[in-house]
Amino acid sequence: MNCQPKDYKSDLKPIWCPGCGDFGVVQAIYRALAAVGRPPHEIAFVSGIGCSSRIPGYTTAYGFNSVHGRALPIAQGLKIANPDLLVLCAGGDGDGFSIGGGHVAHAIRRNLDLTYIVMDNQIYGLTKGQLSPTSKLGLKTVTSDLGSLEAPVNPLLYVLSYGAPFVAQGTPADMAGLASVIEEAIRYPGFSFVNVQSPCVTFGEDDWQLKQHKAVMKSVASLGHDASDVIAAMRLAQAYGSELYTGVLYRAPQPPSTYDALVRERQAEQQKKALPRERILELFAAKKKETAA
Amino acid sequence: MSHDLVIGMAGSGGDGIVSAGESLIAAAAGAGYAAIMTKSFGSQIRGGESSCRVRISTKPVLNPGGTLDVAVALNWDDFLKFGAELPVGGNTVVIYDAKTGVAPDKLPLGAVVPEEVYPVPIDALARQTAGTDKAKNTVILGLLAGWFGLAADDLLAGMRKKFAKKGPELVAANEKAFEAGRNYAAEHPLREPRFMEPAPPGEPKLLTDGNDMCAAAAIFAGCRFFGGYPITPSTEIMQFFTREVWRHGGAVLQAEDEIAGIGAALGASFGGVKAMTATSGPGMSLKSEIMGLATICELPLVIVNVQRGGPSTGLPTKSEQADLFQAALSAHGDVLRPVLAPVSVRDTFGVTVEAFNIAEQYQTPVIILSDQEIAQRKESCDPIDTRAFKLVDRLQPSAADLEKYVRFRFTESGISPVSAPGMPGGNYLGSGIEHNEHGDPTASGGMHAKMNEKRFRKLDPLKHRRDLFETYGDPRAPLALIAWGSVAGVCIEALERARQEGLRARLLVPKLLWPIAEEVYRDFFAGVQSGLVVEQSHQGQLYRLLRMQLDVPKGLQSFARSGANPFQPAEVVARLRETALAVQRQGAETLTPVE
Ligand SMILES: Cc1ncc(C[n+]2csc(CCOP(=O)(O)OP(=O)(O)O)c2C)c(N)n1
Ligand code: SF4
Ligand SMILES: [Mg+2]
Repeated sequence: MNCQPKDYKSDLKPIWCPGCGDFGVVQAIYRALAAVGRPPHEIAFVSGIGCSSRIPGYTTAYGFNSVHGRALPIAQGLKIANPDLLVLCAGGDGDGFSIGGGHVAHAIRRNLDLTYIVMDNQIYGLTKGQLSPTSKLGLKTVTSDLGSLEAPVNPLLYVLSYGAPFVAQGTPADMAGLASVIEEAIRYPGFSFVNVQSPCVTFGEDDWQLKQHKAVMKSVASLGHDASDVIAAMRLAQAYGSELYTGVLYRAPQPPSTYDALVRERQAEQQKKALPRERILELFAAKKKETAA
Repeated sequence: MSHDLVIGMAGSGGDGIVSAGESLIAAAAGAGYAAIMTKSFGSQIRGGESSCRVRISTKPVLNPGGTLDVAVALNWDDFLKFGAELPVGGNTVVIYDAKTGVAPDKLPLGAVVPEEVYPVPIDALARQTAGTDKAKNTVILGLLAGWFGLAADDLLAGMRKKFAKKGPELVAANEKAFEAGRNYAAEHPLREPRFMEPAPPGEPKLLTDGNDMCAAAAIFAGCRFFGGYPITPSTEIMQFFTREVWRHGGAVLQAEDEIAGIGAALGASFGGVKAMTATSGPGMSLKSEIMGLATICELPLVIVNVQRGGPSTGLPTKSEQADLFQAALSAHGDVLRPVLAPVSVRDTFGVTVEAFNIAEQYQTPVIILSDQEIAQRKESCDPIDTRAFKLVDRLQPSAADLEKYVRFRFTESGISPVSAPGMPGGNYLGSGIEHNEHGDPTASGGMHAKMNEKRFRKLDPLKHRRDLFETYGDPRAPLALIAWGSVAGVCIEALERARQEGLRARLLVPKLLWPIAEEVYRDFFAGVQSGLVVEQSHQGQLYRLLRMQLDVPKGLQSFARSGANPFQPAEVVARLRETALAVQRQGAETLTPVE
């Protein structure tokens, strides 16, 4: 199918502040989806709550803008029930690594074939500027007037250490690069994670906006990084917060079986024992019915 | 002859008391009796004391019964730990292991003096015949078969099957132990024979518990996804799914917590698949937010809460009916969420199918409020003709609808056709944020009011569902009973006993607990002067909800007490009698001539 980025753009006008990094993320998603070429009705896009979680509504895919922190469980149930869909999942750093942080590890170990995009702005945007799990130590926000006392979560190391088979990072400052890692993530047959450094122009740090991204970003390919080497990936990931690496940090060379594929296998195998549902109560029969000889 | 026998047994963990109960109910079911078995354990994970009650009858049984007809104690310490769960009366035949050394006239039963007491060398018989005290439970089965004529052939057949895998020696040893019990009974006849009447002929019985019945009904209703997290006493529902759902083309997810469990189920439902989750109190508390999401996104979902004692961890293994407020009212925002409650294991089938039908018909979450008693007791019950059940699927958009699809279109019924990902033209945004007809997020108060109105209006027909209520007794009696869940079965029996004592009463059993079907209650209340709403909770939650929603007869009172110990028919009759007397007294007062 010949698809154009505009086929994935809905008529809904984003509520985002002018200049918000998320505009670039949704553009990159349009491009990636066009490159992959699945029609919008075969795509389901699940998110939580936050500025970033508004994103499904700006696409023509089936969208589910759910509740704060629960996008991953919903996306997994959807993918298991309906494995033919292309399932995208997205949200903010708070959504994914604070309130929903407990779900990430389990999504990774189940390894469903879906893509999780976190728009990491190191701040709570929607609720107007509170500390987020990725805010740096010492950051002053409305909930940390005197500076944060907590070290940030490192999203890249977090997912790598739980065994995520595909891990990438991007920034809207490098549109082509971002679209291409999202495309690769979607094409990867398993759980794929993309951390997008997506600045909040309103509550984010002034010295960490697209302009600065442009100046300091480094593509891991240009560093000669071997994306099949998980230890090398972890070493790069360790620089989260000080370096802005873009591109694919890790791509498991032998993709492990996905949960959805295993579910299908089991269903196929068990269907040999299929029993019409009308007869399910026979499981409870105290005595087999005596059938006339 | 007996036509209804309540047997209670207790022993230490290793005595195999529960296993004897299982054998007994399986044999009774095989022989065509109706039966109920409940079990109860001490708080240890393994070992410790355990007990079970088996009620066997020639007619359908509705509750585990009150005072025991037969009590079996392998040792008195363990037996007494179950106090109110194994009540002994003057007419109880008491059988106990002579090894305890307790004299028959010195039983530790306080003021209760049973007339027939049999110290039996149970341990000795087991050792002599089978060479091990592990066969004590088999000796007991032999005694019960001998004294009460309980399905000896079925018991033997069951035993052979059970031990077949463990080798012929074990089968032979247990056969000997069984015979020893039977012979002992023959040599020591009861004062009056209490043989069970043979079961009336009929279709083979079903034998299962409420949790398995619930899961089977869900699969029958077309449920193809289960997401949940283990919690007593609901876990067997998920366990059933993990065995059965695959071959029906479905899947089950043991999630990382209850929120993820219901989240995954809702995701599946968004994907067009019938889905459910099941839990108990603590898990229910966690599921609240996503239930609200299901309401505002208008997605079908079935949530089972197998009630246990609360709050917090409370009494995880005991039954209570104290989660009705939570089921009906626990939500932020204006939410109307149907709540159904089954009254027995058998009834769990129909109620579960109905829950899926309502969920699909009205695109709404539906709560099934089961309780530990129903969920974990075993019932031998009449078979169910699955052909009698109609299944409902959610309204799908027509080709014309899909040309310009409007997901939340305002319709007369309030129900809008719902698409699912994969359906060309059906693309929409499901959102927990208030939305307009198209699904676009909005902050408009006017739109919010219209959507609330739509979400409530579509459920209006539920209030006219008389078929979700049962009535019993004399429809014109001035005395009324209302009971739901496992307590209903106690009240049905209490009503019959009251009738035999000359007390006329009527009973209403709602299976639809919320919304309150005002008409149904009003009709039922016509002519009622007084009565009781019988509930196993401290507050009497249905009673309070009724008073919140409608004018109830002045004499209607709450008869409620906290969970754990089940109600017994006799105490309901006693309370009913008091209530009737109070009315009489009042009547007499108004008749007293004023001087
Ligand atoms: C259960 C719950 N708690 C709190 C909130 C309030 N809330 C909404 S979004 C949000 C944080 C948003 O931050 P993030 O996830 O990083 O997304 P961003 O807005 O920065 O894109 C919070 C705390 C909520 N909606 N639900
Ligand atoms: S508050 Fe920040 S994250 Fe939210 S829309 Fe505005 S710029 Fe973007
Ligand atoms: Mg954020």
